[in-house]
Amino acid sequence: MTWTLRIGLPSATLALLALVWEIGVRAGGAQGIAPYPSGVIAAGLRLIADGTALAALSGSLGRVLIGFGIGALIGVPLGLAIGTLPALDRAIRPITDSLRSIAPIAWIPMAILWLGVRGDAALFVVAYAAVFPFVVNAAQAARLVDRAHVNAARALGAGPGLVLRSVIVPSTLPLVLTGARIAMAFAWGSIIAAELAIGIKVAGHGRSVAGLGQLMVETLYVQRDVNALVFYMLVIGAVSFAIDAGLRHAQGVLLPWTRR
Amino acid sequence: MTGTDRLGPVAPAGLAAPPRRRLDRSRTAIARGIGRALAPLGGLVALVAVWHGVSATVGNATILPPPLAVAAALREMLVDELPQDVAASLVHLGAGYGLGALTGLVLALLAARFPLFEAVIDPLVEFLRPISAIAWIPIAILMFGVSQGVPIFLIFYASLFPIFVNTLDGIRRIDPRLVQAARMLGASRRLVVSHVVLPAALPAVMSGARLSLGVGWMAMVAGELVGAEAGLGWRILWHQEFFAMDKVMATIVAIGVLGYAADAALRLLQARLLSWAPDAGGGR
Amino acid sequence: MDPTLAPPILDIAGSASAMEPTLAPPVLDIAGVGKTYVSTRTGESIEALRGVDLQVRRGEFLAVVGPSGCGKSTLLSLVAGFAAPTTGTVRFKGREVREPEPARGVMFQDYALFPWRTVLGNVEFGPFARGVDRTRRRERAGDLIRLVGLEGFEHRYPHELSGGMRQRCALARMLANEPELWLMDEPLAAVDLQTRMILQDELLRLWGDSAAGGGTGERPTVLFVTHGIDEAVLLADRIVVLGRRPGRLKAVVEVDLPRPRTDARTSPAFTRLVEHVWSLIRDEAVRAIAEETN
Repeated sequence: MTWTLRIGLPSATLALLALVWEIGVRAGGAQGIAPYPSGVIAAGLRLIADGTALAALSGSLGRVLIGFGIGALIGVPLGLAIGTLPALDRAIRPITDSLRSIAPIAWIPMAILWLGVRGDAALFVVAYAAVFPFVVNAAQAARLVDRAHVNAARALGAGPGLVLRSVIVPSTLPLVLTGARIAMAFAWGSIIAAELAIGIKVAGHGRSVAGLGQLMVETLYVQRDVNALVFYMLVIGAVSFAIDAGLRHAQGVLLPWTRR
Repeated sequence: MTGTDRLGPVAPAGLAAPPRRRLDRSRTAIARGIGRALAPLGGLVALVAVWHGVSATVGNATILPPPLAVAAALREMLVDELPQDVAASLVHLGAGYGLGALTGLVLALLAARFPLFEAVIDPLVEFLRPISAIAWIPIAILMFGVSQGVPIFLIFYASLFPIFVNTLDGIRRIDPRLVQAARMLGASRRLVVSHVVLPAALPAVMSGARLSLGVGWMAMVAGELVGAEAGLGWRILWHQEFFAMDKVMATIVAIGVLGYAADAALRLLQARLLSWAPDAGGGR
Repeated sequence: MDPTLAPPILDIAGSASAMEPTLAPPVLDIAGVGKTYVSTRTGESIEALRGVDLQVRRGEFLAVVGPSGCGKSTLLSLVAGFAAPTTGTVRFKGREVREPEPARGVMFQDYALFPWRTVLGNVEFGPFARGVDRTRRRERAGDLIRLVGLEGFEHRYPHELSGGMRQRCALARMLANEPELWLMDEPLAAVDLQTRMILQDELLRLWGDSAAGGGTGERPTVLFVTHGIDEAVLLADRIVVLGRRPGRLKAVVEVDLPRPRTDARTSPAFTRLVEHVWSLIRDEAVRAIAEETN
């Protein structure tokens, strides 16, 4: 397949689908009930122009980054320790396994109780979602460090510090970064879920549009604007695509030896 | 032996995985045995003890209900509402996951077989995949109302992609020599599909199925929490309305236990089906 | 070793290998074969083989050697029917090769055993694929498993076997279809040196053993790709030397060592032949490595 086909065919497929969708909605006279492409574009332009979308997006993104950071700070050292010390692994595994099985969003009532609705509750959910991929991948990475590489470095005269810097870090980094990509995806999904849940809780109790999720609840129940809802969905998708592409790029830059 | 024989590296034995070593711990065997038996138990006991300690320090059973209160609440719920909540959640999960996994699998098989179909489905998947199930919640509520349709749709959507992507990838990664070997031995194309392609792709299908269940489970709780009037997720908010935080915690525990059990069941199936695979059975 | 001590039948086979292949039609006829691969990703084309002419007689053991990247494995996959030549034709028993078939058995580098099938399941796959009923194929598979010395391991999976055992299993799997032509792609490359020497002797025994040879009471024809020159000298009637990419026929060396060859490794004639073949490919090998490191 040539490059033009590789780009052209998917674009053509998606464009054709959008066209069919537009015509379908217009022919059925369902513009008020069902979303349609031109309506979504119009809603998008309006929401970008008046700043609503950007404000909500930066609110959500800020919390994702902080929660992701907290998850990394707790998850990576814990995972590395678990992977290096089998005894610790056995002690902690039941804890991580059981906590991991709880959907992060299930904590929302407790989080609201502990941290309030102003955004900190969502932050808790995000950090909770992000921590486990870091733990699992960092632990696996530590387990897979090749003893022969450590021995080779020591035979070549490396002390413990250099072994850590020149063997342990580069051998664990690929898997930890993969963990970061999963954590980021989880975090982004959870922030929206948490904001939706919080938004539904406080809907009608005054305005508290702090993130995309709350904005979607308001759009759903107050403005009843389907096109805007679809626009927000596309924003969510675009952001997660961009984040993942960025992390993948970072992986290639930081780990040139894993590039294919 | 002449010099030409081993100029290059020794070819790796086809199926043997690269050596994976744990860092050795120098410990006596007895201490290790005792530690191995007690460590998991110790971990859980420590967790409950810390929980109890924090709860006692806070001194407010609403803000952090102590473990004993949660256990009592759980026991009470067990004979009361929990069975019907679990049943409702399992119906959501069964319908959504069953449909999602099956659709993902069939679409992947079709995409692997027909390049034209793949050319159409692939951009669609790549377009939709970054839009998480969660983002669909408002639209799902619009489509189905606050009902079981919301969690079922969300689970369906969430579980579709991992199994699709994994299956397609698994089929693409099949060692072409296995297909050649079967053909050389006289296998028809149909036999190659049923006896080579399917078993060779099975490890990837199974890990896709487990990933799908994981994200499906999360989608289920979220969908029930904000978009349904039955199930474990919905019950959390219901208890919260009455500030029965011990029951909220008890429901959270139930979600954890069931989620773990569901994954364990699939892991068991994976280990059974893939006993032949050196690395695929029951990992993670 | 004194040639007069060899059994008469082997003497006949030995003298036959010295004759020109004009008397009987060759069982395998490779005529003007070239192969150019085109990468589907980059569109770059790589010429792996060019203008190879080769006739293989019935019952002959032919080894193919050459520097790495000379297209040895490509040649084998063309004869197997896994790929079609870009130029020229491959004929087996007078018919042009288009598809793989049970009469041309292949033993793959790294074996390509089905990891989800046990030893028994792997060995019986060929008869199973051809529709042989269960009792007959089990019986046949059992015989072969005994023949290659794997009894007691019938129900093990490939990942539970050592390299040498996987190799025997792959051999038994190939033999289960009673192929007339054995196509072997560096079958002993992935086992350790001692195992390799033992397996070389066993391979010779199996090949010479008429029970394993196509059911006609004759020896099977073997095309054996290897990068071990001493292995080629030990096993083969003739050694085909390919030059570096694009692979071309550089020389054909007759190996006139008497059979059986189990003790041949130490004989002066053996060493002379090894050195002769090595002298034919040394320059090519050095240049091939230089090209790789560029």
